[in-house]
Amino acid sequence: MTTVEQPMPDAQRRHVLKHADDGLIGWLTTTDHKRIGILYMVSAFIFFLVAGLMSLVMRAELAIPELQLLDLQTYNQLFTMHGTAMIFFFATPMVIGLANYLIPLQIGAPDVAFPRLNAFTYWLFIFSALIVFGGFFVTAGAAAFGWYGYPPLSTKTFSPSVGADLWVVGLLLSGVASILGSVNILATIFALRAPGMTMFRLPLFTWNILVTSILILFSFPVLGAALALLFIDRNFGGSVFTTAGDPLVYQHLFWFFGHPEVYIIALPFFGVVTEIVPVFSRKPLFGYKAFVFATILIGAYSFSVWAHHMFTTGAVSTVYFAITSFLIAIPTGVKFFGWIATMWRGSLWFATPMLYVVGMMAMFLIGGITGVFLASPPIDYAVHDTYYVVAHMHYVLFGTSVFAMFGGLFYWFPKFTGRMLDERLGKVQFWLLFVGFNVTFFPMHQLGIDGMPRRIGDYAAERGWNDLNLLASGGSVLIAVAVLLFLWNFWTSRSLGLPAGDDPWGGHTLEWATSSPPPHHNFTSLPPITSDRPLLDLRVRGPVRQGGEPVGPSEDERAGADDGGGRG
Amino acid sequence: MSHRASRVSRTVLLGALALVASGCLPVPVTEQGRDVASLYDLFMIAAAGVFVIVIGLLAWTILRYRGAPGRDAQLPAQTSAKLIFEVVWWTVPTLLVAVLAVLTIGVLNQVDARAEEPDLVVDVAGYQWGWEFTYRDSGVVVNGTAADPATIELPVDRTVAFMISSRDVVHSFSIPNFLIKRDAIPSRDNRFDVLIEDEGTYSGQCGEFCGLLHSRQVFEIRAVSPDRFDRWLADQEAATP
Repeated sequence: MTTVEQPMPDAQRRHVLKHADDGLIGWLTTTDHKRIGILYMVSAFIFFLVAGLMSLVMRAELAIPELQLLDLQTYNQLFTMHGTAMIFFFATPMVIGLANYLIPLQIGAPDVAFPRLNAFTYWLFIFSALIVFGGFFVTAGAAAFGWYGYPPLSTKTFSPSVGADLWVVGLLLSGVASILGSVNILATIFALRAPGMTMFRLPLFTWNILVTSILILFSFPVLGAALALLFIDRNFGGSVFTTAGDPLVYQHLFWFFGHPEVYIIALPFFGVVTEIVPVFSRKPLFGYKAFVFATILIGAYSFSVWAHHMFTTGAVSTVYFAITSFLIAIPTGVKFFGWIATMWRGSLWFATPMLYVVGMMAMFLIGGITGVFLASPPIDYAVHDTYYVVAHMHYVLFGTSVFAMFGGLFYWFPKFTGRMLDERLGKVQFWLLFVGFNVTFFPMHQLGIDGMPRRIGDYAAERGWNDLNLLASGGSVLIAVAVLLFLWNFWTSRSLGLPAGDDPWGGHTLEWATSSPPPHHNFTSLPPITSDRPLLDLRVRGPVRQGGEPVGPSEDERAGADDGGGRG
Repeated sequence: MSHRASRVSRTVLLGALALVASGCLPVPVTEQGRDVASLYDLFMIAAAGVFVIVIGLLAWTILRYRGAPGRDAQLPAQTSAKLIFEVVWWTVPTLLVAVLAVLTIGVLNQVDARAEEPDLVVDVAGYQWGWEFTYRDSGVVVNGTAADPATIELPVDRTVAFMISSRDVVHSFSIPNFLIKRDAIPSRDNRFDVLIEDEGTYSGQCGEFCGLLHSRQVFEIRAVSPDRFDRWLADQEAATP
């Protein structure tokens, strides 16, 4: 039974007052999920900038053939660390940061289930990142075998640098941090939901994070095992992955983690999009249960497709993995149609978050389509390990996840800070990023089709790859300008942005039912929760009767009148 | 509004056509490569269809249902999900994917087919950073390094089987014009067969990242008439001590 007013206990009220410590010590010692969320997001964004800077250097190197701004060894370190940092120290922690901040708010909880574990997890992630980046400061340099570190190349014989050991150990620790984080999030979602917040009233972002956490829980331990064995091979005379053992076993273990990982950094951003689309269409989500089912299905399928990364090894069942990979397109397509149907007959408001979300849809469509090409082994034989894959992967990870991330940051920044990001700058940034992204990555499809392999620090001028490479490098400059614009917007809006109020967008979910930023324990009162969109219900149904029962038909009556295709 | 919508749909259509036109594979020069190219073309047609329909739907929705900005704007009708739509968009992608899977498996069998008695067997060994080619029956060996890459000749109209292995780390034996590659993995043998149809010079390159000089682990194949090839092989044999 929900009540309109839930008076805060005195103990909590004192805690709120005590928590006025905004100094450095306050941030370093915090166990507040909101502060840890912000620490995660800011740290992840710094790693995004560092890894992005590496990619700018690489694009400069490839702009003109036989340029050699860098020696090949440095180039190899850069693309290895670019991929590693983007996957493990940007995308994954950005997901955990968003989840940290938003999950307790969306389910009406005062904090995560284990606040101290949460703080420990954050610091473990920071140390693991520093260990990996420490590779740049050892004599022989950072790891230089690609972000998936295939043996035998990654064994001591071929990669003797201490930087490679730091890479192995750092990733192992970051994996432990991710596992602990996912346990915390799962416990929070299962145990701390507010009265009335049933599983089928969870906001879709929370559902996506729930499935993501399960993926982390099952996939990161496998990565941990692979890295531990690699470390033993490297340092204690093991031969699991050397020629005496079987190098292919590592590939299986790595991609058994690696493909779910793709969804670990895609599903949460699908969740972000699924939050933003209904709010800016001013309508409920079209087919809530279909979205939940599709999310679970994508998560489940993601464990059965790993060997499509290994078609060219000639050692996997190509037919089986082709079919499972094709199947994953179905629930993904269903989400896409659900987004469009939500916008259909809505009243669309193109504020910056919505702009990013529509941009994301267009980019994700291209990334999804090229994914179906790659799922077909004969086509994969032709374009595997070429720039076609680089293009596909960036349409999915950048065009989809990063665009949705910017949408989410514009959407929730007012909640995080109490101030709006500048809308005009945001729109300019969007168009710069949209054009820059496509100019950079679209030509890579053709480069890959023309046979340009990925991970080459140089190419011969007569191969015919010159023009498109120059074009791609030009586009990368636009991306850099767009990101700088965001930094400027972020920095100035923190203190000078327009005051946001509690709910600047007309949000649907509980995080908009508290102040911006929320008080230490999040809520002083909760609205009645009878659907996945309690705040929209309030606006649609008008005032609430004494005792908290909303006017008009209850959710169950409405659901009963539905045709079973999910709630409206 | 509808004028704008039609202009948008025309632009989308033209964009998709440009996409199809630009997304062409290199000219395939082998029998197996031609199968892959025609499969790719079918995928491209399906992709263009999906792209046009979905982007068109998205663009039309954006133009048609634009509302006023601001959080207090009037709410539209709060419509709910319709079962029929859900059924359609679970079914249509499933059917499309099933068709693509069937097409794929057909071509996959062609590409992975191995001749029982190939006309020519070439052992290919990858190493840091070069390739060594051994013509099995004649014992002719051609090898190369990053500084001096290998160039070999092969006959057209004869089935050639490549037996691929590695001496150190994982490499990948890749010839863009053949539209195929196979990894060269230590402790494991790999194979693919081709029937080259067009004479010409085709460059090849290591596909899987393999360390410092990966970008320079290249080689070249000259596809010539069977007669010329036999002469070349005999010359090589004579030159071998």
